[in-house]
Amino acid sequence: MKKAAKITAALAMMGLLAFAAAGCGGDDSAKSGGAKDTVKFGVTNFADSLEPTDNFFSWVVMRYGLGECLVKFDDKMNLTPWLAESWSISDDKLTWTFKINDKAVFSNGNKVTADAVKKSIERTFEKSNRAGTFFQFDNITADGQNLIIKTQNPVPTLPGMLADPLFIIIDTSVTDRDYAKQGPICTGPYMVKEYSKAKAVMEANPNYWDGKVPFKVAEIPTIDDPNTRAMALQSGEIDMAINIASGDLQLFQDKAKYNISELASLRTVLAQINMNEGRPCHDPKVRAALISCLDRETYNKVLLKDTFITGKAPIPPSLDYGFDQLTDPNAYNVERAKQLLAEAGWKDTNNDGYVDKDGKNLELDFIYYSGRAELPLYAEATQSDAKKIGIKVNMKNIDYNVLDSIRQSGDFDLCISNILTANSGDPAVYLNWYWKTGDPQNATGYSNPEYDALSDRLAVEFDPAKRRDLMIQMQQILLNDGAGLFFGYPKTNMVSKVTLKNADIKPADYYWLTKDVAPAE
Amino acid sequence: MREWCVLSNKQLLGRIGQIVLVLLGISFITFALVMLSPGDPVRQMIAGNEDIVVSQQEVEALRHELGLDKPFIFQYLDWLGRAVQGDFGFSYMVKKPVIEELMHSLPATVILAVASTVFMLLVSIPAGIYSAVKHNSWFDYMVRGLTFVGVSIPNFWMGLMLLWIFGLKLGLLPIVGGRVSPETLVLPALTLGIVMAAKYTRQVRATVLEELNQDYVVGARARGMSESHILWKEVLPNAMLPLITLLGLSFGNLLGGAAVVEIVFSWPGLGYLAVQSIIYRDFQLVQGIVLWIALMYMVINLIVDISYNHLDPRLRKAGK
Repeated sequence: MKKAAKITAALAMMGLLAFAAAGCGGDDSAKSGGAKDTVKFGVTNFADSLEPTDNFFSWVVMRYGLGECLVKFDDKMNLTPWLAESWSISDDKLTWTFKINDKAVFSNGNKVTADAVKKSIERTFEKSNRAGTFFQFDNITADGQNLIIKTQNPVPTLPGMLADPLFIIIDTSVTDRDYAKQGPICTGPYMVKEYSKAKAVMEANPNYWDGKVPFKVAEIPTIDDPNTRAMALQSGEIDMAINIASGDLQLFQDKAKYNISELASLRTVLAQINMNEGRPCHDPKVRAALISCLDRETYNKVLLKDTFITGKAPIPPSLDYGFDQLTDPNAYNVERAKQLLAEAGWKDTNNDGYVDKDGKNLELDFIYYSGRAELPLYAEATQSDAKKIGIKVNMKNIDYNVLDSIRQSGDFDLCISNILTANSGDPAVYLNWYWKTGDPQNATGYSNPEYDALSDRLAVEFDPAKRRDLMIQMQQILLNDGAGLFFGYPKTNMVSKVTLKNADIKPADYYWLTKDVAPAE
Repeated sequence: MREWCVLSNKQLLGRIGQIVLVLLGISFITFALVMLSPGDPVRQMIAGNEDIVVSQQEVEALRHELGLDKPFIFQYLDWLGRAVQGDFGFSYMVKKPVIEELMHSLPATVILAVASTVFMLLVSIPAGIYSAVKHNSWFDYMVRGLTFVGVSIPNFWMGLMLLWIFGLKLGLLPIVGGRVSPETLVLPALTLGIVMAAKYTRQVRATVLEELNQDYVVGARARGMSESHILWKEVLPNAMLPLITLLGLSFGNLLGGAAVVEIVFSWPGLGYLAVQSIIYRDFQLVQGIVLWIALMYMVINLIVDISYNHLDPRLRKAGK
């Protein structure tokens, strides 16, 4: 029996060795340190296809350096020329003229004419329901390199809307392509060599119109797990990675090896406050007390390890809409919060630790979902701080998918979510949807005629400086009214090896692999 | 009566009939559960988890286009009618026929399942047998200790540790997966294999130990049979029966995909696809994956039952 047992043990060892040997040696080419003509970029990817009109897949078409739009946003979210070198609006505010850059060509060598752009935009409207939610046009015409868009109503933010990746300009004359796997013919610095959700291989566009393409090949593996992504960057298998987890950022602090590009995103973590009749927060003093008792700075700096910027106003500081000049009357002040509750008639008459009025405790239902890690944290912190002034917060965890229906039903006091505030560079839509009287998305019951009047002026205002001023005024009204609880603004990051330059994260979340990402000199 | 199968024709047909009925029941329950679960697949399709403002008009237009505004029972019957003809519907998420997407992810899952099972068998059978034979020796204690640790470790943690050691520290294996190749297979297969081997080794050890204490072993020793003859010819065949059942269940489980491990290693298999389809409320794809997993369990269970005929002479005799 001893002999038999030894044989079996030996077999086990051989099995182990054979198994390990199968993988040993690895793939030397996986280490990207040497080849300067290839860049490897670890990403998260949600797109199964490169058809830009499907879902939000156009974001990936742009993120991977394939597609470009007429205009783009700079680091401050101001509009800058891209395929269009300039644009103007007619006196009646209904006709936009975009002058297409004469040098621009598609990757197949075809010239980007105004007619080609017209056909591309028309295709987008034809294939995507989402296009019509941006703007409605009467007609689009092409005159040489001038593209003329006539709209049904004045659309002050139309150029910004055309910067959305949905409006990537493609060569519609090419019809024999599998858009899902090969992507459309576009104008970006890279073209698709292979594409699957798991990995994309891009190659330099030989006809690129806007300078030299820095890499011959860009390999873009999808690495969904953030720990794995960080390890891949540490091991040198990739040169750059998007959104390294906050806990892992400390691994890349060595400036001799890595560059960390980090900034506030265009997102706001907002708890909508139900101000409808019959709800406790209908009383402005209760709202003000609630907001005042929350130590939002500690939540962001300590609980969230400084991965969020402390919240104050509806529009995040990454957008230039007067964040620093706005005044929050409900800044952290526990004593003031207690006083406000007392003024509103809420007192702890039965010594149970919670304030009450007419025999009822002051209780608020806080709706949150766990899909984003920060939301339960904010909710728990609110529950803890609110208790200190006698407000009982009942936390209700829900599935993200029912968030909207609960919001619409009005069955909540606080409802938190992480919102993209300016998809098209202009936060007017966001300000209207959540706070304008009568908007279907405004389920909180908030209504202020002064705010609505500013919103109406904004709808027809074309001057960017005046628009900015109007939106600053609107935000100040919301802050004065305690019309929302702005917890924080998430930061986003891109980490790269020092062998690369210009691998910088931008406020608009769709400029990742650009022509500017190049080998460091 | 066939030699290879302990089941009669009638029994075999009965089992196949059962499989069909169970699949029908599972398809209805899955369809109902997905429909009843909170959330709107249309909204999810448009905006994903991006918290982007979506207009109701856009949502309703797409709902109608996909036929999701019909009553539940009509949607189910529609699906069933097509499914019996081999058309399992169209994935909203990937915009491809469900069967095509399943077939695309299946090879990776089968390869991972086979590799991890082979590894598990190579480790657990020798280790379990030797541990039983050397009952209460240092080797036995070591195996019991290691397997105790093994069954306690979550898959994802084991995966990350293996990546850290073999990928980052030793640089022997790639960290970036996303493709099916020998070098990207090793770590996910080891991760699944180690955890399964821990469980299986304990089972092998316990079963062999139990057999070694049976009267027939004492009798065989008294008759002067060699220890190796007793182990290989008497004990192991008897011990195999419960182990085969466990093996069948484990392999069936693996063929359904190992979601967590697939995500950690970016392994393009069914587990990853299942998670994505649930997140996106992709009814048709969820339905396809659940049916596949159920089918695999039942077919493997049937194969296990048939294999008893070869492993247990008592069943062969009873059949005759």
